[in-house]
Amino acid sequence: MKKETIGDSLSRVDGRLKVTGGAKYSGEYDLPGLTYGVLVPATIASGTITAIDSKAALRAPGVVAVITPFNAIKVPGYQPEASTRVKGLKLFNDNQVYFNGQPIALVVADTFERATNAVSLVKATYQAQPFETNFNKNIDKGVSPQNNKDYLRGEAYAYKNAPIKIEQEYTLPSEMHNPMELHVTTAFWTGDDNVTLYTKSQGVISSQRAIANAFQLDPKNVQINSRFVGGAFGSSLRTWPHEVAAVQAAKMLNRPVKLTLTREQMFTLVGYRPHTVQKVGIGATADGKIVGISHESHSQTAVYEEFTERSVNVSRFLYSSPNVNTVYKVVPLNVGVPAPMRGPGEATGSFALESALDELSYALNMDPIELRLKNYADVDEEKNLPWSSKYLKECYQKGADSIGWSNRKAKPGTNNDGEWLVGYGIGCGAFGAYRSRSLAKIKLMPNGTVNIQSATSDIGPGTGTSMVLIAADILKIPAEKIVFELGDSSFPVAPTQGGSATVSSVGSAVHDACVALRQKLNSLAGKPENNTDDIDYAKVLTQNNLPFLEITQESNANEEAKKYSMYSFSAHFAKVHVHPLTGVVKVKNVVAVVDAGKIVSYKTARSQMIGGAVGGIGMAMTEEAVFDDRFGRYVNGNFADYHVPVNADIPQIEAIFINKPDPIINPIGTKGIGEISLIGVAAAVANAVYNATGKRIRELPITPDKLI
Amino acid sequence: MNQFQYVRPAQVPGATKAITNGANTQFLAGGTNLIDLMKMGVVAPEKLVDINNLPLKKIEGNAGGISIGALASNTEVAEHPLIKANYPLLALAINAGASPQLRNMATVGGNLMQRTRCPYFFDTAMPCNKRMPGSGCGALEGYNRMHALFGASDKCIAVNPSDMNVALTALDATVHVSGVKGKRAIKISDFHRLPGQHPELDNTLQKGELITSVDLPASPFNKNVHYLKVRDRTSYAFALVSAAVALNIENNTIQGARLAMGGVAHKPWRLTETEAFLKGKPVSLDVFKQAAQIAMQGAKAYEHNKFKLTLAPNTLLQALKTASGLKA
Amino acid sequence: MSGKKPCIPAESEDLLHGNRRDFLKKTSFLTAMALTPGTVVKAAEEQWDEKIAGVFEKVSLHIDVNGVKHTLSVEPRVTLLDLLREQLKLTGTKKGCDRGQCGACTVHVNGVRVNSCLSLAVTNEGKKITTIEGLANGNELHPMQEAFIEHDGFQCGYCTSGQIMSAVACINEGHAGSEAEIREYMSGNICRCGAYPNIVNAIQAVKQGGQS
Repeated sequence: MKKETIGDSLSRVDGRLKVTGGAKYSGEYDLPGLTYGVLVPATIASGTITAIDSKAALRAPGVVAVITPFNAIKVPGYQPEASTRVKGLKLFNDNQVYFNGQPIALVVADTFERATNAVSLVKATYQAQPFETNFNKNIDKGVSPQNNKDYLRGEAYAYKNAPIKIEQEYTLPSEMHNPMELHVTTAFWTGDDNVTLYTKSQGVISSQRAIANAFQLDPKNVQINSRFVGGAFGSSLRTWPHEVAAVQAAKMLNRPVKLTLTREQMFTLVGYRPHTVQKVGIGATADGKIVGISHESHSQTAVYEEFTERSVNVSRFLYSSPNVNTVYKVVPLNVGVPAPMRGPGEATGSFALESALDELSYALNMDPIELRLKNYADVDEEKNLPWSSKYLKECYQKGADSIGWSNRKAKPGTNNDGEWLVGYGIGCGAFGAYRSRSLAKIKLMPNGTVNIQSATSDIGPGTGTSMVLIAADILKIPAEKIVFELGDSSFPVAPTQGGSATVSSVGSAVHDACVALRQKLNSLAGKPENNTDDIDYAKVLTQNNLPFLEITQESNANEEAKKYSMYSFSAHFAKVHVHPLTGVVKVKNVVAVVDAGKIVSYKTARSQMIGGAVGGIGMAMTEEAVFDDRFGRYVNGNFADYHVPVNADIPQIEAIFINKPDPIINPIGTKGIGEISLIGVAAAVANAVYNATGKRIRELPITPDKLI
Repeated sequence: MNQFQYVRPAQVPGATKAITNGANTQFLAGGTNLIDLMKMGVVAPEKLVDINNLPLKKIEGNAGGISIGALASNTEVAEHPLIKANYPLLALAINAGASPQLRNMATVGGNLMQRTRCPYFFDTAMPCNKRMPGSGCGALEGYNRMHALFGASDKCIAVNPSDMNVALTALDATVHVSGVKGKRAIKISDFHRLPGQHPELDNTLQKGELITSVDLPASPFNKNVHYLKVRDRTSYAFALVSAAVALNIENNTIQGARLAMGGVAHKPWRLTETEAFLKGKPVSLDVFKQAAQIAMQGAKAYEHNKFKLTLAPNTLLQALKTASGLKA
Repeated sequence: MSGKKPCIPAESEDLLHGNRRDFLKKTSFLTAMALTPGTVVKAAEEQWDEKIAGVFEKVSLHIDVNGVKHTLSVEPRVTLLDLLREQLKLTGTKKGCDRGQCGACTVHVNGVRVNSCLSLAVTNEGKKITTIEGLANGNELHPMQEAFIEHDGFQCGYCTSGQIMSAVACINEGHAGSEAEIREYMSGNICRCGAYPNIVNAIQAVKQGGQS
């Protein structure tokens, strides 16, 4: 019988459920007496609600309730905050409106259609206040976030005195996570102090804590289920106000309430990559040695909450430079609060830094890869620590070979294929390799099967598949005998799925639990603790008269890790065709090379790399949420007008792994790929467009109008 | 969506009678546009007359031309052997629109009736004269990147979003309709209207009239044709600009041309002056460049759609090149 | 509300006359009287006409879903998608946008792929619907389902049902002739995880295997 090992190409363990429609997502649980909740959005961008007339809605068939700030029960955990900058959004807690589209009421009815229609019957009156949603107009009102310090190494703005220098501004519009599954929460209470949720969550333990805090419950009495998550990309990292509202409504009505957002509401209520303007200055000697980098960033945030991310941080360490300074500011507007979106700030920052570096290469008349090699950072100059592992040079080489970099013409606009201009570009990135405390419970059954549980989530990367491979490798049993369960807050504690840390954290716990199980079995079988020969597990259990064997193992980051700087690194390469008359761009090829340590599950990891590249192509080419600042409303808050890439936009994408285990971070040697797969892609595409056309697009997305 | 009464007549007279009774009644065919608009609260009919059971699905050749039943799906039209052979421009245009699923649902009659994609029309919290006459045009001083270059008014600068309509316009289609007062035929160029002072009216149909078929005359334009649609992503997106080009070329001379553009006006924009210019001219890049400039006479742009002043002639030029097979 | 209440056949000629409100006030009031006089009369007195409308404005529907025949009574505004998910509990068909803009809700109606979110359930009278749950032959997966697993044509799985229903149709329609054609004819199904190349590979494998 085949015994899989770490690094194998195993098909997804939940594949059969997903291709048969059998995978149940949070909105798909049939509960007796289920009601449907639909939110009523505000139609002003700032002010107060003076009255809500629900009479017509309540008269409509099937409507159970219209919950408003004027009749809602108090959420006990909603206390006044000390700081106005983090006060957050508390639905139905008061009559304040901070942004257009903010929910002002919740209609609950016996069917979805009836609830939806009743929303249109709820009439609110407001006392409107002046508001601002125009980022560019308000950029001067940017403030330094509370927990953020500007960074300086050497001399600030040293680039200005360099013989060759680039000083440019790069703009990224707001981008929406837009997972395919609409955010949904189904909540029901059993008694006064016990509530169960089926909710779209990247972290069932963090959701459990948030709901327990809001309703002042013992976390043990809050059950969170999120077994399948239809994509999230960061939009389910936190518990949103509407999830609390669903629990609140279920409490008021003493019935299960399923609250589903509309696609339009997904643009305002569950975060987004914030509109960001970055100024990058790079100075170099005539032979291409960088002498100074300055990176300043302004991002939008909400007036009711400060959101920050690491858009400028990548400039502090990706290249060697004696002088670096970074400045980061946020601009509060009457908008919903942003949230980390795949690759988060690092992807935003990398677009600016890697575009500027490309501009520098042309100014120097130097190959962009040569420029990167010339300024290769052998240590982390920000933290002044050695890298735990870094194979970025190998990434450059493998990517260049694969994309056919030697076919690139140094002079822009000189490479043709029929009517099309041809260009090549590179964009690189780094993302921290993280690991945090995680637990896993393993249970060996007499029939030789193994069940593993951990309260992590899977938003699509293939967590279960990775965990099964880790267990199969250590236990030396076939993958088909192992079941990994997640998405249930009653399982042993695990971190939220985010920051590319799941395999590092939960995988380590599974690893350690499996090692502990083997040791136990070795000792029961009378073998040395470190025996690696096959043992007949079932026989050991029978001989020892054990109905099963169960071990829960906790796994933590090691102390040794503090002596190192730990990152995944990427080099993305793109080849594009540009039609000069119509401005149409075709991405012909993408090669994504990543140094992410050991690859555990080859097939799903490759898919994750491809997915990140697709996200990056969207960032580069199509995605932009547009406001009408007169109303503070999005004019393209839907899937027809907000363009995520479709199949016809995407070529075959090659994913290449360096696949060398990191010796420090965790026992398996993984550094994470979810974020790094996107970081650098947008710059690679934009740089390829420049190489093809000689047109430098510094404001994404690169739509046809910008190239004619 | 509001609650409504639903009826499903089996014959045309029953349908036209049903729609004439009652104030706020609409025909339902493929539903791809109407159901969307009802979900958004843009329209709220009290009664829907489902016409899908009416015998209006046939596609058949007639005296030199072809008659397309109003309920033939977009896919059925684009895949029909007679259309592919004699009206390839129409097949190209239809396949450039929407998605395979939507084309399977959408009908020819429904596509003719397709309403604008202007965001202000779709969002009931913002002004729109087309949705609510007198409320103002949100796009005029708002976000107007997708909007018209030709024939707009101070009441409305929206564009017709259909691809099929652009090809039908170039191909001189006739729209046959039936109402309680009888039947009539409407030239496609008279079917859609410019917004003027009444942007709430997309077309010249009278209340209760039902589209029964769309006829195309015999056409020599079955070889040198192209439909070029430039959009923000490769597929499943509305046009920034599109160009339908049909040329009749003999011995490198253009005997006749049929040209129309999409994404530039409240109706499919027929380029009759450009067609006249091309007639008798040789196939050459220079001629096509001049044609593209003639096509732009009278164009007026707004804050966000100025790029269309360049993109539109470029798109037409490229479509002329491709249709004629001109290299370089 | 129970589906056992009286419902209206859509072909009823009576409905072609008079407006909806008149119809309700006459017909539903009288029918209601016969059923539960006390409460409805009270409701009518209090002008709860919308409440009554909710009970009586249902239309009969005969529909075959995955080979199972259903006789139902539904509000005409219920979409085929919501009928499948919320009433028939066939949640394999997904809702991603509810507006025909993503393809997650793709099902086959009489063998043709459509967006079930833009199709009113009542317009499917007498039709055969195939959803993802009806694709496999018992425990034996459809070749396209097998190919999606083999080629990893999904990640989160939420667009997958629609992708597979579209992929099967793409081959049946004869639009899987080349990689470029597959990409174009699969562009009505958005995948946010970015599995597109793997989806194309899965379809090509099934096409080359001569099955669909």
